[in-house]
Amino acid sequence: MATSGMFGNGNPGALWTGGPVPGQLHNFPGVQNGATKGSSQRTLNPVVMGSSVLGIQFNGGVVIAADMLGSYGSLSKYRDCPRLLKVNDSTVIGASGDYADFQYLSNVIQQQVIDEECLNDGFGYTPKSLHCWLTRVLYNRRSQFNPLWNTYIVAGLDEDKPYLGYVDKIGMAYEAPSLASGFGAYLALPIIRDALEKKPDMALEDALRLIDRCMKLLFYRDARALNKYQVAVITKAGVDLRGPIVSDTNWEVAHMIKGYE
Amino acid sequence: MAQLGQPLSDYQRPHQVHFSPYDFNGGTVLAIAGENYALIATDTRLSQGFSIHSRESPKTYSLSENTVLGCCGFHGDVLTLTKTLGARLQIFEKEHNKPMPTPSVAAMLSTILYYRRFFPYYTHNLVAGLDEEGKGCVYSFDPVGSYEREVYRAKGSASAMLQPLLDNQIGGKNQQGYVVQPMPLDRCIAVVKDVFTSAAERDIYTGDNILISVITKDGLKSEKFPLRKD
Amino acid sequence: MALASVCGFKLGNENSYFGLDVNGPMGVPTWDDALTISEKFTVPCDIDLQSGIYKAFTDDDSKVKIQFHHGTTTLAFRFKHGVIVAVDSRATAGPSIESQTVKKVIEINPYLLGTMAGGAADCMFWERVLARQCRIYELRNKERISVAAASKLLANIVYDYKGMGLSMGTMIVGWDKKGPGLYYVDSDGERLSGNLFSVGSGSVYAYGVLDSVYHWDLSEAEAYDLGRRAIYHATHRDAYSGGVVNLYHMKQTGWEKISQTDTTELHYQYQAEKEKAKK
Repeated sequence: MATSGMFGNGNPGALWTGGPVPGQLHNFPGVQNGATKGSSQRTLNPVVMGSSVLGIQFNGGVVIAADMLGSYGSLSKYRDCPRLLKVNDSTVIGASGDYADFQYLSNVIQQQVIDEECLNDGFGYTPKSLHCWLTRVLYNRRSQFNPLWNTYIVAGLDEDKPYLGYVDKIGMAYEAPSLASGFGAYLALPIIRDALEKKPDMALEDALRLIDRCMKLLFYRDARALNKYQVAVITKAGVDLRGPIVSDTNWEVAHMIKGYE
Repeated sequence: MAQLGQPLSDYQRPHQVHFSPYDFNGGTVLAIAGENYALIATDTRLSQGFSIHSRESPKTYSLSENTVLGCCGFHGDVLTLTKTLGARLQIFEKEHNKPMPTPSVAAMLSTILYYRRFFPYYTHNLVAGLDEEGKGCVYSFDPVGSYEREVYRAKGSASAMLQPLLDNQIGGKNQQGYVVQPMPLDRCIAVVKDVFTSAAERDIYTGDNILISVITKDGLKSEKFPLRKD
Repeated sequence: MALASVCGFKLGNENSYFGLDVNGPMGVPTWDDALTISEKFTVPCDIDLQSGIYKAFTDDDSKVKIQFHHGTTTLAFRFKHGVIVAVDSRATAGPSIESQTVKKVIEINPYLLGTMAGGAADCMFWERVLARQCRIYELRNKERISVAAASKLLANIVYDYKGMGLSMGTMIVGWDKKGPGLYYVDSDGERLSGNLFSVGSGSVYAYGVLDSVYHWDLSEAEAYDLGRRAIYHATHRDAYSGGVVNLYHMKQTGWEKISQTDTTELHYQYQAEKEKAKK
């Protein structure tokens, strides 16, 4: 890791620095912070990318889904990338964006979970606390101009209440009863919101059917999506990570589409 | 990336993306200082570009019993700033066994903002509350902490639409023979509802609901009012 | 805790292989750091970051535009009876008028005044820092700081931040052992002493009026009128200036606020004078 601290210098700079101090080298104005380091290590160009993540609250829990494609530019390079991470029995996160950054953060989170378990004090991550922590991490990395190029969706049960949180690479975060990242925000979210408006107290089966419909739609229309996805269902009983699921697609109308040759 | 192989011409390789640490998430806040009350109102829409992220995200944050902060702009900065402020106020309260007075909150916010002069918080801020004499007070800030006490103020995406209306309705600006009088609370709330409804008509980043908070000596009271949701 | 001690587990971040250095893991400042940061100046560690940040909010195609409050006409001149300071009261952010009621004369202490031109926050903050330094000087030396020293303090402070985007043009006005003092200090680190200065976007118009009337032996009333008139004419021609004219007089006994006049009022007053002169 190239930098540490808010802006990389450990402690924040003094209010009035750079003045001549006897016996010390004088820092010329404008260059006192000139120590350039590690700019090459910054993820400013995501390589292997994941697309949408969808999350819906239903009566008694949350479902979260993501397909398993790792795209390399327009190439569907890796077709078996799990983008959901089970953190503990009440929390799952899903990630869009740079896959390497997601793997790095997964390692960190898993280490933290182990640390917490070793303490054995009965405390662990709740979705709310993990979401809050992620927001701080992503915001601080963007402040160092070294962002983690991801959008995370945190799903889980917080004191038996469904919880869904969103954080993007610049630390913009919010909670909502339905969330989608990537292309799903444009294609799937309107459908999900419409369904939730008509039936706010959805059952698990309804939610899963809705997810399947949306994942299928994304596969049809998003060139960076794959018809192979994972779903995590978080209820009081714990986390049920299902998949890979392949939905039935229908290409009957495909031959009628003309004019793009 | 380059070492990953030869140029493959038939598909698009990952391309370098420009990284901007800022974004704009919309939102409007408005505050009015009355004789014995302060009012602060906000819309509840959180957007980014052309998508609406949330319709239930008010941009006012109650800092203590008689101080409310209105804060909009880049939501990541808003979250960080409100968190820091909350912590600083809590420490003050524990150390001094009383909540920080509103004018002091404003002064502290000014320095917090200025300390980020070289990497500013992209936030528009308003502080509303009661001063030491129990009178309503409103402070408005620029992103790097220049601040001023005012009687009425709109900030955020629709501020350019709201402020002239307030100038006319509350300030009585450019009206011959108009005597500016302190406004009773009920009339004030009516004006706020009107100006926000007008703003929601013409600003895509303002809509869904308004949350009006009124601070009096009896504490904080809030009310909600619906706006256009399209 | 028992299990933790058996495992040789250390509380905090030392244990985690990802958490490096003195800070929390992932470069997240610890609780303590986050608060320290809010109490201290933070400067990006990397010089090319600075330009990146600056670009991010000033670029034409960037949708995010952080606009600071700006714009001004301020003036000050020395004459027989002390120093006159006159300023307008408008603050603009880009094309929008953000305030018509700004206090652009900063009262540093009873014998020192500073004016505000350029970034409002820059002037407000650094002149407050100056006020603190001046007070400390007084406590240490049992006498008031000279205008020369005060202005040099400010100039030295801002010179340390040269090239980082501060924007401030200020006049430090005071009265010390040597009599009335007037210094111009700006964010480039420049510091000049003189009899007459005007700073800000409307300064050219103000200079025009000032130069045609100013001389050392002005009476007090003449000087007040000159100050107001110069600011008024600047507000009339400069879109970034306006509001009211605040007028201060620095005397041997300290500063005195003479008047606050709306420019509209001045407009009709001067127009009436012109009409009268015609007849």
